[in-house]
Amino acid sequence: MKDLYLVYKNLTRKKLRLFLTSFAIFIAFLIFGAVTALQGALNAGVEMSADNRLVVMNKINFTQPLPYAYVNKVGNVDGVDKVTHANWFGGYYQEPAQQVITLAVDSAHYFDVYSELAVDPAALAQWQANQSGALIGERLANLYGWKVGDRIPIASNIFSHGDGGHTWNLTIDGIFSGRESQTDTGYLVFHYQYFNETHTYGGDSVGWLILTTEDPSLNDAVAKAIDANFANSAAETETSTEKAFNKAFIEQIGNIGLIISSVVFTAFFIILVVVGNTMVLAIRERTGEIAVLKTLGFSSLRIFTMVLVESFLLAFVGGLLGLTAAYITVEVLSGVFANFLPNLVLDQDIVIQALGYMLLLGLVTGMIPAVRALRLNIVSGFSRD
Amino acid sequence: MRVLSQSLAVIVMNVRSLPSRLWMSLAMVIASAVVVAILLAFLAMAKGFEATLEGAGSEDVAFFLRAGSGAELNSNLSQEQVNILANAPGIVAEQGKPIVSAELYVIVDGVKKSSQTEANIPLRGLNANGIALRKGFELVDGRMFRPGTDELIVGQGVLNEFDGFELGQTVRFGQNAWKVVGVFSTGGNVFESELWADIKVLQSLYNRGSTYQSLRAKLAPDASLETIETFIANDPRLNQDVQTESSYFAEQGKNLQYMAIFGRVISAVMALGALAGALNTMYTSVAERAREIATLRAIGFSHVSAFVGTLVEALVLSTIGGILGCVAAFVLFDGLNVSTLGSSFTQVVFRFQLTPDLFLQGVIMALIIGFISGFFPAWRAARVPVVTAFQSGR
Amino acid sequence: MSDEILFDLKNLAKRFVKGKESISIFEYLSMTLKKGDFVAIMGPSGSGKTTLLNMLGGVDQPTGGEIWFDGSRIDNLREGALAQWRANNIGFIFQFYNLMPMLNAHRNVELPLLLTNLSRKQRDQQVQTALKLVGLEDRAKHMPSEMSGGQQQRVAIARAMVSDPKLLLCDEPTGDLDRQTADEILEMLQLLNRDFGKTIMMVTHDPAAAKYATRTLHLDKGQFAEKELAA
Ligand SMILES: Nc1ncnc2c1ncn2[C@@H]1O[C@H](COP(=O)(O)OP(=O)(O)O)[C@@H](O)[C@H]1O
Ligand SMILES: [Mg+2]
Repeated sequence: MKDLYLVYKNLTRKKLRLFLTSFAIFIAFLIFGAVTALQGALNAGVEMSADNRLVVMNKINFTQPLPYAYVNKVGNVDGVDKVTHANWFGGYYQEPAQQVITLAVDSAHYFDVYSELAVDPAALAQWQANQSGALIGERLANLYGWKVGDRIPIASNIFSHGDGGHTWNLTIDGIFSGRESQTDTGYLVFHYQYFNETHTYGGDSVGWLILTTEDPSLNDAVAKAIDANFANSAAETETSTEKAFNKAFIEQIGNIGLIISSVVFTAFFIILVVVGNTMVLAIRERTGEIAVLKTLGFSSLRIFTMVLVESFLLAFVGGLLGLTAAYITVEVLSGVFANFLPNLVLDQDIVIQALGYMLLLGLVTGMIPAVRALRLNIVSGFSRD
Repeated sequence: MRVLSQSLAVIVMNVRSLPSRLWMSLAMVIASAVVVAILLAFLAMAKGFEATLEGAGSEDVAFFLRAGSGAELNSNLSQEQVNILANAPGIVAEQGKPIVSAELYVIVDGVKKSSQTEANIPLRGLNANGIALRKGFELVDGRMFRPGTDELIVGQGVLNEFDGFELGQTVRFGQNAWKVVGVFSTGGNVFESELWADIKVLQSLYNRGSTYQSLRAKLAPDASLETIETFIANDPRLNQDVQTESSYFAEQGKNLQYMAIFGRVISAVMALGALAGALNTMYTSVAERAREIATLRAIGFSHVSAFVGTLVEALVLSTIGGILGCVAAFVLFDGLNVSTLGSSFTQVVFRFQLTPDLFLQGVIMALIIGFISGFFPAWRAARVPVVTAFQSGR
Repeated sequence: MSDEILFDLKNLAKRFVKGKESISIFEYLSMTLKKGDFVAIMGPSGSGKTTLLNMLGGVDQPTGGEIWFDGSRIDNLREGALAQWRANNIGFIFQFYNLMPMLNAHRNVELPLLLTNLSRKQRDQQVQTALKLVGLEDRAKHMPSEMSGGQQQRVAIARAMVSDPKLLLCDEPTGDLDRQTADEILEMLQLLNRDFGKTIMMVTHDPAAAKYATRTLHLDKGQFAEKELAA
């Protein structure tokens, strides 16, 4: 397009203004990308949960244990396909600050229920046979550079080992990975049996149960049946879908997250409004020039297009740079916070959203002056100064 | 003196002409308002954290946890250990009885008013000493629970943020029902996010036998933590860490402070973006008035007055924005009750607090924005060549 | 001088309405412009000279009467068609040059050619020819801010000429220039008229400028008073 040169010249005529405007847009999209990615990381558990998976917790609170006998009882409820269980171990490596998410699980069925976790059958078999063995997630393995065969000391900030001390030495028998990129593989599992025999706390209780139903449509009925089964017992249960549980857990972080993100998004939009205002005014200053172009015979439509292209370019240059910076920031942060924000990624959805906002910014800021240019009466265009 | 009166004349002229440059002026005002409002929001949040956590602990209370456990939830102490620790050196005794409180808490579910979802609340068991050790404790409604009964008192934070804890209500956690007989305040700190009941009742209802999680003890003015640490190290039955209660909460507060740091980083970055917007506005304003400025210079006004005029214009606009930002932050955030997951896995309720010193910070921020976004364009204004006045067109 | 009529104004009327007030600039203005004419229009300030020129150039619409150009009526054309018509037939020259400040002389002159299908090479050639015509071939890379008023006006003339329009409309083209520079510009217009056969209509205040024209019309109180000059 021959007019691109004109558009380019218009954009770059005031270098300082171009820089400041692009910079403000850059900042807005940098923050948008980073904060949206952060929000996404917090919500990732909800999205990744399987439809037919339920969790059974102690009704008082999920930190309260359930009797081990519940595992079989729940397995016998109609509509339940597979059941497994887990205990929170409170694990850390070397220093309490280096948290290693560690679960004591039922080695026979855990990986059947979590079918999105892929593990080599030979490694699984070896682990099942090795009572002080552990399987670790791919991301955890990468984080500490652990390999199959390594013997690692995992300490607990909750439990004491029967031998005195708080440390369990575990051998890595294999590494599991996720079948999807967002699957959480940042944790370690070891044998419940072994855990139960070696800790001093008084045993035979499990943290929570995880089960799959034969069909997602049975979820409600199964959950009701399980809770009814244990009603009025010493440990009443609360069964919910994994999705609902994860969601409730995120809700615990609570409105503070909501407040921060709404403050940030408000600021994002206001910056765009301020910038948009400048962009509109910058084009309005050129009314006289637009009038000249019209007298030269440039059609209104052509000028309209030029103005729009200009504001789109501005929105996208700043926006894409900002998004790129957000991407880099998120990559760096996801390395640093790998432990507690496993799903910190700036994914396609965020990019699409951001592109949408850039489009909107370009459209709104371009549309106002473009329509004005379209309608501009040449005579009044000259008398404006 | 001449410079002053000239500057004054230019300032008056600039400020008077602001409404005619409405949109540009507005952009500057809004940019400054946003930065100030965001800054204040995060400062108010940090202030709230501070009052909630850092204000919770006392310097003269020793706090014992099982070594390495880091937080109450993970810790445990036996009755025997509690008895030994109560006689550690430096602990105040009254009529031969040491002032100590061995405590236990379980996490129970409450329904948040804001989201109608379940969230963790600590239900703490303690004795009369424990209550006396909390500074600022005050029963604001009802009465104290009677020892040995299933009565509890509810912190004001819990009452505000959760459903069903009103005075006289019966609340059920699993099989156990509790009666709410009182509402207490501890001056806004973290204890207000808790439910309190008799320790013995809690132990028996939740099958904890005679174990505890933490021990608080009143320290004599001349007590030293090192002496107590030596005392623990010398007794093979003990494996506790000791610190003052205030340092424990300061540590606990770190997690929440991360959010405040995060907020500061974000508001600093946002401020850069808004500053770019403000600078743009001022440069445009100078460009638009280049002829005006040059004409004044031709008449004989000094370039100092052109500089000062522009700078003051920016300061006026950013201050208006700053005040708007303060008002917006006050209306939106002051007294806002929020709750989040604290490091001990339970809900911490805290309140955004906008204090006068924060407003001062907001206004200072606005002035900084005004100064930066005014200074460089003012520099440019001062250097507008006088001949501009005689040139036609643009 | 050919007898072919280029412009034919019939009972042109123009009134401005503002709120309840309305002022009439002219009511029954008629005139013809022949191909090859160089007409100067003089008259007191506010008499409607610019308004008339704007209507001839198709950038303002009359409130009554008809404007015929080369056998077809233009006052009722729609905006898009008018733009096209302007691009093909009219070159404008303004008192304040109205160059694009961010484009150099070459690019300014090129502007009207962007509306044609000429290749880049052809455009460059035409621009160079036009700049040469106004004696600025060595200033092609200069920005408007780097040129004197007279030079800028010559760039503007080159821009008006480059697409080879039939008619040049000039609104006080020398109003902003000193005598000597003004004479240069006027000689240039005369040359365009005489040697290139361009029809020119020029509004001016300056009786000395009007001497370069072949005809002078006085516009006053909505009427023309013609004063034919002996060539
Ligand atoms: N847009 C407008 N609205 C109202 N009156 C106008 C407008 N444009 C021009 N006029 C009036 O029309 C008259 C002629 O103006 P103009 O053609 O510019 O005069 P000249 O060029 O002869 O000095 C003047 O009285 C002027 O005030
Ligand atoms: Mg005029």
